[in-house]
Amino acid sequence: MTARAALGRVALYALLAAVTFVVCFPLVWAFFTSMKPKDEIFFWPPTLWPSTWTLENYRALLQGKDAYFQAGSATGGQAPPSAFFLDWFLNSVIVTLGTTVISTVVSTLAAYSLTRFRFPGQRAVPYLALVGYMVPSIIFVFPMFLLMADLRLTDTLLSLILGYVCITLPFCMWLMWAFFRGVPIEIEEAALVDGASRLRVFWEIVLPTAWPGIVAAAIFTLIVSWNDYLFGRVFMNSMENLPLTVGVMHFFDGTHVDWGLMMASSVLMTVPMAILFMALQRHLVAGFGAGAVKG
Amino acid sequence: MHGIPPVRPEAKRRSFQLSDQQVGLLFMLPFLVTAAAFMIWPVAEAVRMAFFAYNPLRPDDVRWVGLDNFERILDDPLFWESLRQALVWTGWSILLQTILGVALAMLLHVSLPGIALFRGLLLFPYIVPTVVIALNWRWIFNSEIGIVNHALLSLGVIDQNIAWLSTPDMAMASAILLNVWKYTPFVIICVLARLQTIPTELYDAAKVDGAGAWRRFLDITLPMLKEVLVVVIVFRTIWTFNKFEEIYLLTRGGPGTSTFNLAVYAFEEGMANLRLGVAAAAGVIMIALLLVGTIVYVRVSGFGQEEKAT
Repeated sequence: MTARAALGRVALYALLAAVTFVVCFPLVWAFFTSMKPKDEIFFWPPTLWPSTWTLENYRALLQGKDAYFQAGSATGGQAPPSAFFLDWFLNSVIVTLGTTVISTVVSTLAAYSLTRFRFPGQRAVPYLALVGYMVPSIIFVFPMFLLMADLRLTDTLLSLILGYVCITLPFCMWLMWAFFRGVPIEIEEAALVDGASRLRVFWEIVLPTAWPGIVAAAIFTLIVSWNDYLFGRVFMNSMENLPLTVGVMHFFDGTHVDWGLMMASSVLMTVPMAILFMALQRHLVAGFGAGAVKG
Repeated sequence: MHGIPPVRPEAKRRSFQLSDQQVGLLFMLPFLVTAAAFMIWPVAEAVRMAFFAYNPLRPDDVRWVGLDNFERILDDPLFWESLRQALVWTGWSILLQTILGVALAMLLHVSLPGIALFRGLLLFPYIVPTVVIALNWRWIFNSEIGIVNHALLSLGVIDQNIAWLSTPDMAMASAILLNVWKYTPFVIICVLARLQTIPTELYDAAKVDGAGAWRRFLDITLPMLKEVLVVVIVFRTIWTFNKFEEIYLLTRGGPGTSTFNLAVYAFEEGMANLRLGVAAAAGVIMIALLLVGTIVYVRVSGFGQEEKAT
């Protein structure tokens, strides 16, 4: 390597490091803030590196509402929003997993049916799905709310799951349809001629080959339903039924804003997505290739 | 395929035809039901609601008002302000995302040991929940104890704290910055995927011909990226124009109404003013604007023709 090439390489690394620093800084700063004790957060000038490391913010979020109610019954006080953090987290997990199962299963079955059988209007379905995917959530949210009210489902986790299915299913449908179109039909036909039943062929041959597409659809659904705020805001009212995204915004309700709690909760909200990202990064990029991911 | 028992051909054939139809219908049924109930119905209902006065607290008093909702919106100065701000928000976001996205994709395209790590880190913002980013933004851009003001003060760029989220222009700039931070990775991924398919021979040949780096970018890279950039820009424009959470969670449309866009406008009409009919009409206008915008863009860029030719 010549001196010039080496210099160029160092410059590239320096540039990459600088960009990475800017991109990662908000998250790193949130993490540092979440590890500081309450008074240190308000130091001016701010301490870049926490002088005292503490888990008190995380402890406050994770001890659950029972602890607050016990303490509250003694003082007659009310539980603060942070007491509900564990409930919100669980709600978000349930809603996200529920949505992901429904959206991927329904879209996989339908996409297979669309690409392997004939019926009227089948060419229009994926394109309609693509159009549905472009419709902004703000259009869906109020009619969906009224529908949920008619079904007496408002303020239930099921209403959120149905809301998220409505915004994720179109893209999952499009993705799986594009995927199944690319899977050669010959192996299936051979198995059918050999006497296997349709359902068996689907289960033993089609599903394994469709796995990358299903994973891409699942990732997309996981991200959208974990991140959504709008539907949770419109559909839900009771404190203990909120999803995480709506819940943590209640930390701004009081006059005093507790930045330590806020940053700890933003770290805890990001962790599941970070794990997912690291585990499935390869698939994520593949999913992008199959069509653009909504954002 | 091993272990599948042989079946007599005649019996097999008949039972297949029957089960094929059943299976096809059976597989389609959940989607049809879900689509009808939760996709088609809400959109149809949204369009219908645009012609009614609709207060969710008085569900029995729903009146047909014709085009009143639309007239009301078009007479509302806040609607026009929201539209103007939506254009500013969308225009700057897309411009910055595209330029930064292409630049960073080219940076990440170089082959260096450890580049995969940088790629991973730079794509990460895309999956960070919007609420998290909004919270982090409110914290680092805090006017009294935010780290951004501290950094700018110590560097001597500013001599007094900037009220990032409580002055109209700065609030809009912060919101645009948030959008750029979160969605530039989307552009990077799409551009990077395309860059990796450009044959390196093209660059080698250009180098032999004495073309400099900038020339090679203009003559080879950019034309190769044109198609993917058109798609990315169209998609990102549509989504950015409709964005609700990125703005609402950061500024709630404020200070005042200075960061309202049409989605925030529709949300406030429905949620705060309880005029679901007006909110629905605003939604219909949003869709109409997007359709017009998309058609104009496709015409101007000639994107549709290329698609048809292939």
